[in-house]
Amino acid sequence: MDNAALRLRRFARLALIAFAAGCAIWLLRLDHARKISTNVLDLIPAAEQTPELGIVRGFTAGAQARVMLFALGEPRAPERPPLAAAEAFAAGLKNSAAFEQVIVMGDPAAQNELGRQIFEHRFEWLLPAWLAAREREFARTGGAREKFSSWLAGRVAADLEAFLSRPEAAAMQELIPRDPLLLVPALVDRVRLLAASGGGAEGHALVWALIKGSPFAEEGQAPVFTAIERTMARVSTEYSGVELRWSGVNRFAAASRSRIEAEVGLLNVCSIVAVLGISCLLVRRIFKLLHLVPIILLSIAGAWTVSTLLFDRLHILVVVIGSLLSGVAIDYGFYLYMQPSLRPDEPYPEKLRRLLKPLLASCLTTVIGFSLLLFSDLPLIRQIGVFVSAGLICALGAAMLYFAQLERPLLEGRSPGGLAGGGRGARWAVRGLAVLAVLVALFGPLRLQWRDDVRELDLPSPELHANDAAVRGWFGESAQRSIYLTHGATLAEARARLEAFHAALNQSAPGVAAASTGVLLPTEEDWRAQPERTAALVTFAGDLRAALAQRGFTAEAFEPFFANWERARVRAPVETYPKLAADLDQALAGPLALLSNTRAAPFWFLTVFDQPATGELPAALHTIGLNQLQSLNELFTRYRWSALRLSLIGLGLVIASVFVIYPPRRGLRIAVIPAGSCFLVFGVFGLTGQTLNLFHLLGAFLGVCLSHNYAIFSSDSAATGSAPPVPVRLSALSTAVSFGVLGFSRIPVIHALGLTVALIVVVALAIVELEPLAHGEKR
Amino acid sequence: MRFLSLLFPFFTFAALAAEPLALTPATLLADPANDPVWRDLLAQLAPNKTRQSKFEERRFFPFRKDPVVLTGEIRIVPELGLSLRYLTPEARVMIVDSKGLLMRDEVGRDREPPNDSRAQAATSALVRVLRFDLAGLQKDFAVHGRRDGAAWTLAFVSRDPAFANLLGTLTVSGENQNLLSIEMTKSPTQRIEIAIRDTVEDVLFTGDTLKRFFR
Repeated sequence: MDNAALRLRRFARLALIAFAAGCAIWLLRLDHARKISTNVLDLIPAAEQTPELGIVRGFTAGAQARVMLFALGEPRAPERPPLAAAEAFAAGLKNSAAFEQVIVMGDPAAQNELGRQIFEHRFEWLLPAWLAAREREFARTGGAREKFSSWLAGRVAADLEAFLSRPEAAAMQELIPRDPLLLVPALVDRVRLLAASGGGAEGHALVWALIKGSPFAEEGQAPVFTAIERTMARVSTEYSGVELRWSGVNRFAAASRSRIEAEVGLLNVCSIVAVLGISCLLVRRIFKLLHLVPIILLSIAGAWTVSTLLFDRLHILVVVIGSLLSGVAIDYGFYLYMQPSLRPDEPYPEKLRRLLKPLLASCLTTVIGFSLLLFSDLPLIRQIGVFVSAGLICALGAAMLYFAQLERPLLEGRSPGGLAGGGRGARWAVRGLAVLAVLVALFGPLRLQWRDDVRELDLPSPELHANDAAVRGWFGESAQRSIYLTHGATLAEARARLEAFHAALNQSAPGVAAASTGVLLPTEEDWRAQPERTAALVTFAGDLRAALAQRGFTAEAFEPFFANWERARVRAPVETYPKLAADLDQALAGPLALLSNTRAAPFWFLTVFDQPATGELPAALHTIGLNQLQSLNELFTRYRWSALRLSLIGLGLVIASVFVIYPPRRGLRIAVIPAGSCFLVFGVFGLTGQTLNLFHLLGAFLGVCLSHNYAIFSSDSAATGSAPPVPVRLSALSTAVSFGVLGFSRIPVIHALGLTVALIVVVALAIVELEPLAHGEKR
Repeated sequence: MRFLSLLFPFFTFAALAAEPLALTPATLLADPANDPVWRDLLAQLAPNKTRQSKFEERRFFPFRKDPVVLTGEIRIVPELGLSLRYLTPEARVMIVDSKGLLMRDEVGRDREPPNDSRAQAATSALVRVLRFDLAGLQKDFAVHGRRDGAAWTLAFVSRDPAFANLLGTLTVSGENQNLLSIEMTKSPTQRIEIAIRDTVEDVLFTGDTLKRFFR
């Protein structure tokens, strides 16, 4: 070995060691728990343009995601909720450091406290809206302004009389002398949907809790589950026979993580076994394949390092999908390693120079394609683009440097021969097949159906979902009800929009209950008008006394109200509108506190509507149906089209660069093989009625890049009409089986990716193999 | 302030017909389910057959000179529970069954009371009273009774003072196996009376009727 070769080997070794050490130091120092996210909503841009989705995204970081629901039942006495056991259970959870709040639903103490607060603040929170509504009604009568007080008094007495025949009147009878305007009873009627119904709980005692840690992090999972288990064990000793059902985001997150890890582990093992099987068939000394392991490891380490350097958080799906990179990274190794030297003494640099053009053409065109994904709005796609691009460059660099270490790098393959030389019949059969394939590729994609479902990002867990639906049902959630979110840039704007939304609901479905904690807060307009309105009602007390007496009431019984009324008329209002909202916010605790955000922008209010969700609402209402999944599905659909646009541009760039590197005829062949394979597979999907999603599209992009490699590497052999080289067969078959294994995944997105890549690769290999036969040329 | 916990006081009944039962130690029944004086009557009263009656409910409020009068029909189906159909002054249906209480308006929209522990307990008590399930009631209520020939009166007072304050005294009375009145009394000015008449037994309710008046 001459000095130049030795220097090259040393340089290559040092470069590889330095690169490996750099990656290792960076990756080992990473806080993986913080860096790797399992939260589906991390896949959505932090500054998502749609405010509604930004709010929904905020839910996962907010208290809403930390809510846990518990239902205790006693199967032996299903008619009586085990309240004592529920109280003991709640007390146990409260003692745990993992829980922030624990509330037994229907707890009279908590309800009474809220009731007391609302009652005490009824003139500030409820009177403004009530008075404004009465003024509007009076205006419609066309009466003179000075008649308003007596009209209002008559209206109050009539409403009160009617109220007494309602079922709740008896319970409110101690309240009525202090609230003949029925401010509180009317509120109770309006917000009743916000309380879990007794009948709906089906004999369960319900406990609502808020955990301290994030449900997506370890602190919000294991310690919480342990606390629940221990507390329930203690409760069971005192209340034998009581059973617990519970649900929470953390339960789904933990289950999802462990299932994905197990699934990915199994798939990887199956994939390795399949690749080894293929290698046994096509490689003479299989142990020499171990030389490819460092290249794959360095490629993945490089991809990890670059991605974690560039992104603050990586979603676990990027890691899963990115691990498929080994299927592409191994191609360069195969090609370099399996190419025989032109002469026995051909030095490595010379061999490398000879192979550099196809290697660079393959790698750089693929990198160009994936780099375009950096322009996607969707973080997931951006992250995949970086991960794959970095991985491919690292794979090529590592392969070039690694094989410089070896004395004579050659992996000898077995070549079973090509298909060329078949008879005339076989040639026409292949041509007929090609025509059919062209027709399918042209017309099949027209029948494609697309549907994106964010649930496909997760491993389905029917048992957990069924349990969650049951528990939520006992807490009052029902498919017969819908939830809406009304938002605004300011508190006043959000509240005014809520008012408009409720008015629209009342107009479209009169009499159907719509409940929101927002109705406790008057609109800013009504709040500002309140002092003037009450000041104008100088004679109202006297008018009301007379009206009550006329309707058969003992007016003296209402003296507590009249005393409060006079005080309220002269009392200075709360200093500012936000202060009014803050007072209300403080009074709301437990689940009710999570139904609005009056603290900081974006401000929003939830409304529970006693009817299933219908079509989209007019944009002017600034309200969306809070079917979170539906919202995200629409978002993913939007991003799919964005990804499709970028993929097509990427494909165009890849094809253009091929024409720059290769002569037109050869360039056309290299361009047609991947594009044709992709369109043929999508044509088959279309004709067989498959429903595709964003991840079929990503798979297609990966498949196109892989088949692009095969087209380039088989370019020389195709020109001479001979069978494709062994590295192409080995690489394509290995990729097909490893991605084919992924096609069996129970995670829908992995299944979509695996199936699409495997089919495109198989079709590309078939084209490369059948090409000489179709031309009728001899090997 | 009993506020949200008192949202749905659906056990709003009080006595009309019989002489009010003065609750004294002498009227306390230690074990009415096994008392030979009561056992047979209670067995007859237990709702083992369908019934339909008319009722007049009078609600007395401390701030109103005259009671509010409501009228309607009661239907009892042993397997389904009790249904009160108010006809005047407002049409409305109230259903009391093993699942609790349910309000249904004239267009068929249901409204359930919230999951309030005391309301649940009260509902449960009412269901058991109307089933004359004295064995179950004895655990939570002191039971008083008086028989005068064919006439009888039973009164129930919760053993939990807070609950007793909320619910008052629940009294049912009748003659032979006929229930004639239900009363809930918190005070002389806070009470509800329901007088029951024209009872028909073994009524064959149609499917539509069951759907309309029961859960």
